[in-house]
Amino acid sequence: MHNDYQTFNSKILKIGKEGSDSKTYTLSLPYKGFKFAPGQYVMISLPGFGEAPISISSDVSETKNFELTVRRSGVLTTELHKKKKSDIIGIRGPYGNAFPMDLGKGKEILIVAGGCGIEPVRPLILDAVRNPKKYKKVSIFYGARDEDAMVYAKEYAKWKKVCDFNLTLDNPKSKKFRKGVVTTLFDVKKIPTDSIAYICGPPIMYKFVIEKMIKQGFDPKNIFMSLERHMDCGQGVCQHCAVGPYYVCKDGPVFSYEQLKNFKTWLKPI
Amino acid sequence: MTKAQFKKFTDYLIKNNQVIAPQYDVEEILHLNELNNSADLYLGTELPLDSWKFYMLPHDQKMFEYQGDKLKETLPKIDKQVFLGVSILDMQALTLLNQVYEKDAYYQDIKKKTIVIGTSLVPKDGFNKFFEVFEENKLEHLQFDIFLAVQKDNYKIFTGSNDGQRLLDKFSAKGGSTSGGGYKKYQHIEYAGPIREEGLDQRMVDIKDAMQNNHKDKIWQDLGKRCIECGKCTIACPVCFCFRMYDQADLDQDKGRRSRCWDSCFYNEFTQVAGVTPKSPKHRFMTKTAEKIYFWYEHHFVRTPESFSMPGCVGCGRCTRTCPADIDITQTIQDILKKKE
Repeated sequence: MHNDYQTFNSKILKIGKEGSDSKTYTLSLPYKGFKFAPGQYVMISLPGFGEAPISISSDVSETKNFELTVRRSGVLTTELHKKKKSDIIGIRGPYGNAFPMDLGKGKEILIVAGGCGIEPVRPLILDAVRNPKKYKKVSIFYGARDEDAMVYAKEYAKWKKVCDFNLTLDNPKSKKFRKGVVTTLFDVKKIPTDSIAYICGPPIMYKFVIEKMIKQGFDPKNIFMSLERHMDCGQGVCQHCAVGPYYVCKDGPVFSYEQLKNFKTWLKPI
Repeated sequence: MTKAQFKKFTDYLIKNNQVIAPQYDVEEILHLNELNNSADLYLGTELPLDSWKFYMLPHDQKMFEYQGDKLKETLPKIDKQVFLGVSILDMQALTLLNQVYEKDAYYQDIKKKTIVIGTSLVPKDGFNKFFEVFEENKLEHLQFDIFLAVQKDNYKIFTGSNDGQRLLDKFSAKGGSTSGGGYKKYQHIEYAGPIREEGLDQRMVDIKDAMQNNHKDKIWQDLGKRCIECGKCTIACPVCFCFRMYDQADLDQDKGRRSRCWDSCFYNEFTQVAGVTPKSPKHRFMTKTAEKIYFWYEHHFVRTPESFSMPGCVGCGRCTRTCPADIDITQTIQDILKKKE
């Protein structure tokens, strides 16, 4: 019988450094026909160290390889950071749903990201850069800890050609950067409240960003967020990632705020 | 099938298979164990303390052996097993597990080798069951191989699969040649899916609706004060099926195994993800006892009905029996269903 837990080997083709604690891995396709949509994730496997869900961060138009950006944060990711070019990573997936990109077509869209939350939304940004006429306007609010924690810094210039890219740092070392958390950008830039918003960041960020957006008059139906959870199976069985009636691994990781706002368990720990 | 014929049938099963059945242990506690003597079989209304999931979803299961970057699938090494004397409540639990693990290679491998022989016996008192009364027309919504409807002096036999039919035919052929004790006059029932003709189970719908649309925080805060997070209910429950996966290295370099084992939503690590750096604190999405017990009820009474159109609780009462803090699921459900707080 087909075994859903069997991983496929991907070869590391290139490793790029992203600030002081993240790396972008360009990987060969794990199997023929591997395809994904922006917002989806794969389970990565390093035998002996287990598995973890990681969002795919590359451009969907790239069909020969794909990219994962991984911050060193736990046992598995620390081990991954030791890997070198030509080493092998186990992959299964892609899993989960995608950001509803069509909803934003012809409209203004807002992308809000905190820390390594920029990774799952990067396919969206790269798609927008490739199709400058797809949206009326693309605004990006990105908040990072400091200069060392900025991910994809080399690409910002390219993004700026199409997007209104706004960066803020919690603790900037130089005066060149805006200081403050990502929520402060909502006071600086006025975004039309009928825009479609795509958000990804640490749990604490959601609480404040959503509070701010609801106050400004955004529609909960137009706010889409990608959630991080502990996952073991990736297929809605093991229960670790459950939020209310949903499984983040299968029904998510992207949810509209409308779907989540009533569930007791969702905003509470944040 | 007369009781004498049934004894012969049991002996026949023991001779040819590993038979798992309810039996009293030396401390007079009813457990599921391998049956070696038909006289030890308990066929009555009491439910065994442990559930059949112990044999369908081993608590620790090797999934792969790895060497370097390669994972080699390792399917469970079990012989053909027969579950004898499965109560309707537990048949409902197995039917649900069959749906949940429909695409799971490990579960399906065990299922393939398992014969489920159910009985119409259900606990007489105590818990408010989902299957209040046994009726023949409910059988088409349960998955089984052979079913014994207990009548006054004998058992009326039904089959729910070709495996069940083959087993009875074989027994009849054998019994016919020696003492004429076989049984061929069974009725076959084809599985018609989990939803009955009258639609979704109304009680299931009501509980789900109350949990989702009439949240009563007090219930969970109170339970949070009583529950000691021991996780015994998750072990005892026949439909608590969550698991975690882990890797274990061998002494040989580069070799080891990937396994899965039962997990419990009451454990702190259940919702844990990595912190910002390897040295920073881990993030846990559930930390309070009240949140965990709510999550447990949400799994059984919201998520399972949502995903499978079946109740995520079969009403066996095992969680209540094992709870050291005397948390009674019947009472909790009554509280959930109460119109006003």
